[in-house]
Amino acid sequence: MSQDKAEKNPEIIGFACSYCTFKASEMAGSLRLKYPDGVKLVQVPCSSRVDPAFVIKAIFEGADGVFVAGCHPGDCHFIKGNYFTRRKIAALKEMFDAFSMNDKLRLFWVSAAEARRFVEKVTGMYNEIKERKNVRKEN
Amino acid sequence: MKTGIFICHCGHNIKHTVDVKKLSAYFRKISGVTVSEDYAFVCSEPGQDLIKESIEKHDLNRVVVASCTPGLHGELFKDVLRKSNLNPFLLRRVSIREHCSWVGDDIEENTEKARRLILSALYGASHYVPLEEKVVDVTKSALIIGGGVSGLSAATFLSRMGMHVYLVEKEAELGGHVRSLKNVWPIGQDGSTIVANMVKDLESSENVEIFTSATIESFVGFFGNYEAMLKTPAGETKIIVGGVVAAIGFSPFDPRLKPELNYGKDERIVTTLEFEQSKDILVLPEKPRIAILHCVGSRDEQIGKAYCSRVCCINALRVGDAIKDKYKDSYVESFYMDVRAHPKGGEEFYEDTQEKGVLFTRSNIAEIIPTPKGLIIRGEDTLFGETFEREFDLAVLSIGMSSPEDSKLIASLLKITLDKDKFFLEAHIKLRPFDTAVKGILIAGSCSGPKDVEESINHGRASALKLYAFLNLGYAIVDPFVSSVDPKRCSGCRMCETACVANAIKFNEEKRVVHVEEAACMGCGLCNATCPSSAISLRGYVDAIIDDEIGALLEAI
Ligand SMILES: Cc1cc2nc3c(=O)[nH]c(=O)nc-3n(C[C@H](O)[C@H](O)[C@H](O)COP(=O)(O)OP(=O)(O)OC[C@H]3O[C@@H](n4cnc5c(N)ncnc54)[C@H](O)[C@@H]3O)c2cc1C
Ligand code: SF4
Ligand code: SF4
Ligand code: SF4
Repeated sequence: MSQDKAEKNPEIIGFACSYCTFKASEMAGSLRLKYPDGVKLVQVPCSSRVDPAFVIKAIFEGADGVFVAGCHPGDCHFIKGNYFTRRKIAALKEMFDAFSMNDKLRLFWVSAAEARRFVEKVTGMYNEIKERKNVRKEN
Repeated sequence: MKTGIFICHCGHNIKHTVDVKKLSAYFRKISGVTVSEDYAFVCSEPGQDLIKESIEKHDLNRVVVASCTPGLHGELFKDVLRKSNLNPFLLRRVSIREHCSWVGDDIEENTEKARRLILSALYGASHYVPLEEKVVDVTKSALIIGGGVSGLSAATFLSRMGMHVYLVEKEAELGGHVRSLKNVWPIGQDGSTIVANMVKDLESSENVEIFTSATIESFVGFFGNYEAMLKTPAGETKIIVGGVVAAIGFSPFDPRLKPELNYGKDERIVTTLEFEQSKDILVLPEKPRIAILHCVGSRDEQIGKAYCSRVCCINALRVGDAIKDKYKDSYVESFYMDVRAHPKGGEEFYEDTQEKGVLFTRSNIAEIIPTPKGLIIRGEDTLFGETFEREFDLAVLSIGMSSPEDSKLIASLLKITLDKDKFFLEAHIKLRPFDTAVKGILIAGSCSGPKDVEESINHGRASALKLYAFLNLGYAIVDPFVSSVDPKRCSGCRMCETACVANAIKFNEEKRVVHVEEAACMGCGLCNATCPSSAISLRGYVDAIIDDEIGALLEAI
């Protein structure tokens, strides 16, 4: 990919829970819903498997944005994994805030049935990051 | 590392929008990759043979299949590895169909994304280790939740196959909604007779235990060995079952959610269900004027119910039919959006009712206004584009089917998912309509969406058959993705123990370290993400795998 294109196309890494958000992404594909190719997923058994270190690693290695996505609160296949995720990500966000990077991290709840919501969430995040990137470049 | 990469064309599905030739050529040059092929249909027999032969010929120790999503052909490719004497957990699937070719239009971008996904799989899989497939015994018994027609048919089937069945019904009587229908379409039989026959069948079986006025208090365990606590009038009972059929039915739509219809405020406004139960005692004038409203609580975005309830058109037709039979000189007008006379014989029945003199007006109804003389119905005729007001003696609301009252409760107990309308979500609406995402938990009848009696019975029987096939093996292979502790690294802080919901982590007072009880571990990996000493890791998802997948996705390694 050329340098210019890479700059215009933000890289977004998403950690997606096997039981819900990853399923929603599979369904989005089957339904031929379109979303930017800059969004790439890492499949995890539960959103609670996501160690904050993974998020930091992804940012250090060049991701423009990272999201963690799991089942809606109360629906976790592992009973309450996503409550732990919520706490962990909230703490991490505060840290990101201190470095003015809070726009780089998101937490979404997307159930297995919500293919459209998945596409809306990732596209929304992608577009916001892309816009900000281009503004920064102009300044 | 000797990796074989197999990139699927899926006919045109992938090949059209991903340059598979370029990819296979690219990966041939990557170190650690021994074989890199692209093939028309990797899941076909020759496709499987290609993998098998490559494994044997090149002594491969990793296999990456880049094709459809891992959820499809779950066991198929694992079997190919087993047959080639390679541990099935050395396989990595990459979804380049659902994640690349079907979500982007630009072949260059899709190919680049596919390249990165395959690269990340390659790096991740390099940390895979052979895992042992554990075999566990399975209890040959089933729990059926809900005693409507779907639950009854599932229970009957399973008990006839010789399986022990526990049937739990929260009401005092079995039969669900069908019990209160007076004239089940299209057979014209009393619903209570249909149900009584089904119950008689079931009660004559020896291996069935029926609990009425009973509910489920708790539910734990895993496929083959679930433990449920039932609350029954006689007290609490613990049962052990191999699997579950959830058949908790539906809730009739409550027309109070549409206040403009004034339901509940005037006795002359009734639902189809109430009409059914009381039509013989309804006091109507000699030449009654009756309005029938279709789609009350269905196909209505404003109240968040966009789906069609399937049975309400027929119910509306039945009301018209019954009134015309009883009162030759009645004026019956049906207000509809379009008539969906779903099952077999429905269209003919629609014509019959038209011939009997029921009038059909395509319309949007704005409101029902009760007055001392009658009910005024105000609406818009959508064929003529005119508004109208007409007076009636009775309005019958053909109500739809809403998700069951307990859907959230049962879903959270069983750890299954609801769809956007709060019905149970099937694992795949076309390919796996009886399963949920949880193995051994099946769904039956209208709890997964509106169905008529025949469909509910079919669904119940099919789910029962599927559960039977699962349980009758007597054993199950469980995923070996459980956590384990490296005692040398463990500092004994016990943070993992606090985090683990499954109580799978035990502390050894003497050695001051923890260990994981594998049978109890659910495989979530929360402990792995919690441990400050990196002492505990989830097999199949260890840190190195995920770290390298991230690195490869971002081209940082
Ligand atoms: C007005 C109306 C008329 C209809 N007329 C016809 C017709 O003429 N012909 C036709 O083919 N179909 C008709 N239907 C559809 C028919 O009612 C359904 O197809 C059928 O009832 C579905 O059966 P089921 O077993 O899925 O659910 P249900 O009949 O709803 O049974 C579910 C059972 O589960 C129990 N339950 C719920 N929650 C729990 C819990 N937490 N624990 C334990 N038990 C629980 C309930 O008490 C109930 O007994 C009609 C529907 C309506 C609304
Ligand atoms: S393996 Fe999957 S992608 Fe390939 S042909 Fe079969 S269904 Fe299509
Ligand atoms: S969190 Fe880690 S270090 Fe602490 S007890 Fe558990 S395994 Fe040992
Ligand atoms: S993976 Fe989950 S269930 Fe297993 S020990 Fe760790 S926290 Fe407990």
